[in-house]
Amino acid sequence: MARRPTRKRRQTGRRKARRPSRRAAVPRGWVRRYWKHAALGLLIVLSAYVFYLDLVIRNRFEGNRWAVPAHVYARPLELYVGMPLNVRQFTRELDLLGYRYAYQAAQPGTYSRDGSRFWVQTRPFTFWDAREPAHRAKIVLEQGHIVSLTDPTSGASLSLLRMDPVFIGGIYPAHHEDRVLVKQEEVPAMLPAALVALEDRNFYTHHGVDLRAIARAMWANIRAGGTVQGGSTLTQQLVKNFFLSNERTLWRKANEVVMAVLLELHYDKPEILEAYLNEVYLGQQGKRAIHGFGLASHYYFDREVGELDLARLATLVALVRGPAFYDPHRYPKRLRERRNLVFDVMAEQGLIGDAERDKARQQPLGVLDDRPSGITPYPAFMQLVRRQLQRDYREEDLTSEGLRIFTTLSPVVQTEVETALAHVLGRLDRRQKLDGKLQGAAVVTSTVGGEVLAVVGDRKARFAGFNRALDARRPIGSLVKPAVYLSALEQPGRYTLATPLDDSPVTLRSDAGDTWQPRNYDGKSHGVVPLFVALSRSYNQATVRLGMQLGLQNVVSTLRRLGVEREVSPYPALLLGSLSLSPYEVTQFYQTLAAGGFHSPLRAIREVLAADGEPLQRYTIRVEQVVEPVTAQVLVSALTETMRTGTGRAVSHWLPADFTVAGKTGTTNDLRDSWFAGFSADHVAVVWLGADDNQPTGLTGASGALGVWGDIMARIPTRALRTPVLGEIEYAWVDAQTGLLADRRCPEAAQLGFVKGTTPTEKTRCKPSGRSSAVDRTVDWFRGMFD
Amino acid sequence: MLRKVALATLCVAAFLAGCAAPPDKPEREGFEPDGGEATGKESIRPGTDTGPAVLALLDEARGAAKAGNLNTAQLQLERALRIEPDNPVLWHYMAKLRLHESRWKEARSLAAKSNTLAGADKRLQADNWRIIAHARQGMGDERGARDAQATARALQPQ
Repeated sequence: MARRPTRKRRQTGRRKARRPSRRAAVPRGWVRRYWKHAALGLLIVLSAYVFYLDLVIRNRFEGNRWAVPAHVYARPLELYVGMPLNVRQFTRELDLLGYRYAYQAAQPGTYSRDGSRFWVQTRPFTFWDAREPAHRAKIVLEQGHIVSLTDPTSGASLSLLRMDPVFIGGIYPAHHEDRVLVKQEEVPAMLPAALVALEDRNFYTHHGVDLRAIARAMWANIRAGGTVQGGSTLTQQLVKNFFLSNERTLWRKANEVVMAVLLELHYDKPEILEAYLNEVYLGQQGKRAIHGFGLASHYYFDREVGELDLARLATLVALVRGPAFYDPHRYPKRLRERRNLVFDVMAEQGLIGDAERDKARQQPLGVLDDRPSGITPYPAFMQLVRRQLQRDYREEDLTSEGLRIFTTLSPVVQTEVETALAHVLGRLDRRQKLDGKLQGAAVVTSTVGGEVLAVVGDRKARFAGFNRALDARRPIGSLVKPAVYLSALEQPGRYTLATPLDDSPVTLRSDAGDTWQPRNYDGKSHGVVPLFVALSRSYNQATVRLGMQLGLQNVVSTLRRLGVEREVSPYPALLLGSLSLSPYEVTQFYQTLAAGGFHSPLRAIREVLAADGEPLQRYTIRVEQVVEPVTAQVLVSALTETMRTGTGRAVSHWLPADFTVAGKTGTTNDLRDSWFAGFSADHVAVVWLGADDNQPTGLTGASGALGVWGDIMARIPTRALRTPVLGEIEYAWVDAQTGLLADRRCPEAAQLGFVKGTTPTEKTRCKPSGRSSAVDRTVDWFRGMFD
Repeated sequence: MLRKVALATLCVAAFLAGCAAPPDKPEREGFEPDGGEATGKESIRPGTDTGPAVLALLDEARGAAKAGNLNTAQLQLERALRIEPDNPVLWHYMAKLRLHESRWKEARSLAAKSNTLAGADKRLQADNWRIIAHARQGMGDERGARDAQATARALQPQ
């Protein structure tokens, strides 16, 4: 800026000296004298600029050309004879995979079906350990199980079939550009041929710019009195998409031409075409920009690009001209006309025959209404995946390196959990007149290894808002009690499930002189009860007394071992669940109980692969024994009693009476939180219901969350708990009134586990009327200890 | 270090192959901290009730272990566990893999887990206790290791 006025003054001075009266003629003289210098200077500047453009092009083309978001997959479904799976769940998985129903399943990604018999042709897929080729299989389902798995050609039985995994979403950078990279050999040959025929006939002969095409376009535009045809080559279009903005200026056009020529100088035609196939913009879904034929094929048709038929392929070629102008949902007629033009041009160029063209013209567009969202349908689970990934990966690697993340999500379980939550929650909301305020969250994991199978963080599972499953920390109420009773049972010399506990009113005084008088939920005291009854019926008074005997630090340490990582304050109210945890944290705690005292950190990710399929990282099953297995099993036997006769007994509405499960209800003050946590042999599930503003909902754990939990367990393929055969444990029938041995036919007899040598020896005679003869003596003995 | 890895790989391959284990000294008193052959005279084989899917995966695990790819062997075992979570032999193999990786705490826990599912299979229990003995020794708990070895012998006198 400082130099320009100086030069101007000098020039003005000269002009004044020579021709003071004819100022306009001065520049001409100047040009005459200096034009060679100026031209040279311009040439130098231009050369430098071209050199710069060349550098830009080569930099972009040599390195990673695209920031490819990480793509996240569900667990692959592994089929084997005996596997629990019903027809509804299997068809849903096939739907989510985008497998197409066909009369004869001959192409990868197709299936045919006759009742509960399926013929499937799987897609090949690269996993951590191997590339799974495409398989043909016949699968027969009966009564919720696979009863036969064979190769339909040879009839030979297959031991195991790993299907490709469902794509569940991507991790996008800020500009939301999404793509699935394809190589030219993966693309049907007809696609580039059609593209060239439509967009750039001389692609294989020109050097980046096609002057004849430009002239033709100009002539067409003049005749039409506006822009109706473009003369850009595919190379120019690629350059425009790659490096330049959308503005229509001469300067941009000049850049485009120069860069197109440079690109052609450095790279061969197939390489340029492949880049074009991956770069071209083909659609928009909200903020997400759909780039490249690989992704567009998934987005519009939910199939691999290699699976595109002629009609679909032509539709995509038609969209190249303007995805918004030819939007298949807003302007289907317009798109169809353009697509049919593609057929015409293809026929004209000899790519297809006339008969083929006429047949293809009749085809519908075939664009999906319910388009697979790159913005995941499982936002709560994806959030968990992102959090776990962020421990090991940088944000920019997640959004640009094309990582492939294999997670533990089971779409089968997730769908059932979403349905159960929405269904029960809607009903409860109406019944309690909560005006849609009732919210809920649920987490389901596999007992083995703590794999997270499903996460729902909102009553509207697709809503990616506040994730209650991970972030809503609420007091857990009686869910804490198993930790209190486990602390007791870890002293088998002192406590067994039959040990009498005093459930009379209790008053605690703090050092400051405050008093605390916890009450039972029903407002009654139950006198002396066996320990397992106090747990299964969730008596507060007995629990507080027991916890104080054990010592609060003892209970805190048990919680810590079970997997509660959050700071826990050793106040007496802890014994009734003043501790606030998220449903996810509660799941970790109950996971350890379900696994028989073995702690496994919950995992949402199994493996991470680089874009080229190279294995990067594996998150293995980790198991640590934190409780003696025998003690854990003793506790589990009491938690099954909760479900049979205690606070969880309403589960019989959902599960058959002989289907053994274990669990615990949780309710907080004024019925603000309704919890249920429990497990079968294969699954741990935790459900929370409540209102975001923490207002009472009128629901207890049993009248609220248990309903969702029961519905989940009834829907998912899971097995009942079985009585483990451990050397150190024995099972006995015990009377719920007295804690003495009882006949199994007694009305209040419960089958419970005992560490060998601690089983009650005295037997009681049960009477239909209730109290047995030995009860008074037991009470006397108990009172004698504490009075 | 290389020898150690090679030896460990060989041993794991042998375990998973279900074939006869390398010759074991009868009545061993001490332990070889880097694994060697901890167990009885023959490797544990999958039970007769093991399904064909799991057997196929064990085949793959064996192939991976033989090729020295313990990570993939582990992956195949995990796939098998998802199918038969109550199969104690799978947990036992997992424990052995961890033992050979000197991940003592995990090896001990996995062997204990296998024992909770082993039912009346004394041979498997004894082998699990031998793993626990090794793991305890690896963690510097000599006394615990001797106790575990004694339990193993009581279960399966050699």
